[in-house]
Amino acid sequence: MATRREFLTVTASTLAGAALTPRSAMGAPKSMTVVRESSFIKPFDDYFAKTLAGEYEKSTGIKINYEAVSVGGMLTRLTTIAETKAGPEIAMTALNWPHLFDKSLVDVSDIAGEIGKQLGGWHENVLEVLVVNKKWKALPWGNIGQLEVYRTDWFKEVGVNKFPETWEDLLAAGRLLKKKGHPFGFELGHGFGDNHGWLYPLFWSYGGREVDRDGKTVVIDSSETAKAVDFCRKFYQETMFEDVLGWTDVNNNKAFFGEQISCTNNASSILEVGLRQFPDIAKVTDHAMNPSGPKGRFHVLNAVSHAVLTHAPDQAAAKAFLRWLYDDKQMSRWLASANAYYAPFLHGYDNHPMWNVEPRYLPYKECLKTSRPHTWPGPQGQAASESVAKYVLVDMFAKACRGDSTKDVVATAATQLKQIYKAK
Amino acid sequence: MAVGPASVARASLAGRATSRRSLLERESVFSWVMLAPGVLFLLAFVAYPFVYGIFISLQDRRVASPGSFVGLANFVAQAQDAVFWQVTRNTFIYTIVATFLKMTGGLAMALVINQQFRGKNLARALLLLPFIVPTVLSTVAWMWIFDPTFSVINWTLRHTGLVTENFSWLGNATLALVSIIIVNTWRGLPFYGITLLAGLQTISPDLYEAAAIDGASVTQRFWHITMPVIKPVLIIVTMFSVIFTFSDFQLPYILTHGGPANATHLFATYAFDIGMSAGQLGMGAAVALAMLPALGLLIVALTLYLRRE
Repeated sequence: MATRREFLTVTASTLAGAALTPRSAMGAPKSMTVVRESSFIKPFDDYFAKTLAGEYEKSTGIKINYEAVSVGGMLTRLTTIAETKAGPEIAMTALNWPHLFDKSLVDVSDIAGEIGKQLGGWHENVLEVLVVNKKWKALPWGNIGQLEVYRTDWFKEVGVNKFPETWEDLLAAGRLLKKKGHPFGFELGHGFGDNHGWLYPLFWSYGGREVDRDGKTVVIDSSETAKAVDFCRKFYQETMFEDVLGWTDVNNNKAFFGEQISCTNNASSILEVGLRQFPDIAKVTDHAMNPSGPKGRFHVLNAVSHAVLTHAPDQAAAKAFLRWLYDDKQMSRWLASANAYYAPFLHGYDNHPMWNVEPRYLPYKECLKTSRPHTWPGPQGQAASESVAKYVLVDMFAKACRGDSTKDVVATAATQLKQIYKAK
Repeated sequence: MAVGPASVARASLAGRATSRRSLLERESVFSWVMLAPGVLFLLAFVAYPFVYGIFISLQDRRVASPGSFVGLANFVAQAQDAVFWQVTRNTFIYTIVATFLKMTGGLAMALVINQQFRGKNLARALLLLPFIVPTVLSTVAWMWIFDPTFSVINWTLRHTGLVTENFSWLGNATLALVSIIIVNTWRGLPFYGITLLAGLQTISPDLYEAAAIDGASVTQRFWHITMPVIKPVLIIVTMFSVIFTFSDFQLPYILTHGGPANATHLFATYAFDIGMSAGQLGMGAAVALAMLPALGLLIVALTLYLRRE
């Protein structure tokens, strides 16, 4: 039988050993938490929380907790996680957030390389928002496209059987529809998605740019910008009504289901909600790509991705989970549960069966080719985020629509951008 | 008699308890013991965030990155930002107009519910509702009230023949500011009303009776009896109300998010956008601290006035 002295010596050495052993060598963590913004597609959230998390726990013994943040609240949540260096090990990112949180995110280039090789390679345009200093800071999941959502029955009533190809043709259709009591409703207020969703593409399609690729030369004060602003004012005055100037992201959805508007710019969530709650409206709802302008056709890129936080006690375990999640066996099923709400950035999924279920979602796949991040072609980073957060572009158009002169609104935007980009 | 170790220990324990008791009996010690929880709470949840806010406002502090000291550069940058001045103007208009409306409306409300009438207690309870309902919830209800299609205000105005076209409550820059002032006033009235009612109830009815016998009119009784008594309460309530209104966040954030074209952006919503959405914590803190001088001056002025009174 061991003496008291021997017992204490053994216990103390065991405890000291345990304290000094690297955490990863102590075995896998018991649980990890994944935080995501709540999706509009309930089956998608449920599939992760109830099916995938359970499967992973069964095969590895690691419990995966799912934390859902309300829509629009993910950036704030990510900020608190990064600032406190505590909380979930894996987080959803969107837009250019990997650039903002660069120092708090683990390099996942190795996993991105493996997945890319297995599944046909990544769409090139997503690299701009995720790769920071040549390192992948998040794994792209899918793009939430912003497209034209319109009432086919009302468009047909005014003789427009196919969605217009150009902004000018859309304006012509809008004039007729407004006369018939079916105005357009495109957000021009301080929302977080549906305003940028059409204003950046409109701006780009007329040749407008906020800042050059160098991120130092503000180029917004141009004849191309002036043309875009003039068109927008006309488009607003002749097809819409004053309220859109104050709309946030909920308003256009509400107006569409209230049968107040015939066309808006939105993600596929309108049709998704329509199919569940407003079947009569869903029957006559369709999607189209943004119209093209003199300089082409554009869409905004909103790359929903997953990143590992540097404070994760076991980064290897968190990366192992992402490697498992992005395996075709899991990823394919989870994507399918989202009813095409997320357009995957992998070429291997260009013809995924998820696209065959509802052909009206196909434009969300097609728009990937012409999608660009906000503030493109300027570099992604703090200044780009500041420009978006201050609604420089949105307010430039909104002020023009309420009656300010093109010269004044462009000059104000140029001054703001020069301050933001610290340019001369 | 032999003294064992147990009795020595007992004596020592008893001695310590006595000295603790005598220590607590000293007023200077006891008062600090009683104050300690409150002081610690204020230090942790008021002083620390405040000082930390000042600290990061002097830094180029990006989210999730260490900051570097930049002195007053963030404040200088704000001073050169046209939106900041628009936000300043909005905040002052919002605070001054809403506070005036709440003060006059709250006083009227207090005077009415101070009267004797059937269902008085129920009326008092119902009047508190706007203050009790969570701001987020009531603001969502107001979103519907201001909705162009479903607005009950527009519907009433049209059906009574007062207007032929709907007002764009949240789309028109002026009306949007008016709208958030209306909602703030609606929500803040009960705070004024109930607090002033407490003040009114301290006035002895004898004073009114004596004044009435002396021939004082209703207006004279109000200015010479009611007002002097409730003035200190009114000043304190106004001070609180100005602080709450000046730093209001939830209401404009939910209703308009500062739009259209910054027409309803206030210090708090603008600071949030810069700090959280743009990830510039230092700059965001500088915007938030811009409220400080105005509020500080107001508090000092009102406190001095109260002391003089």
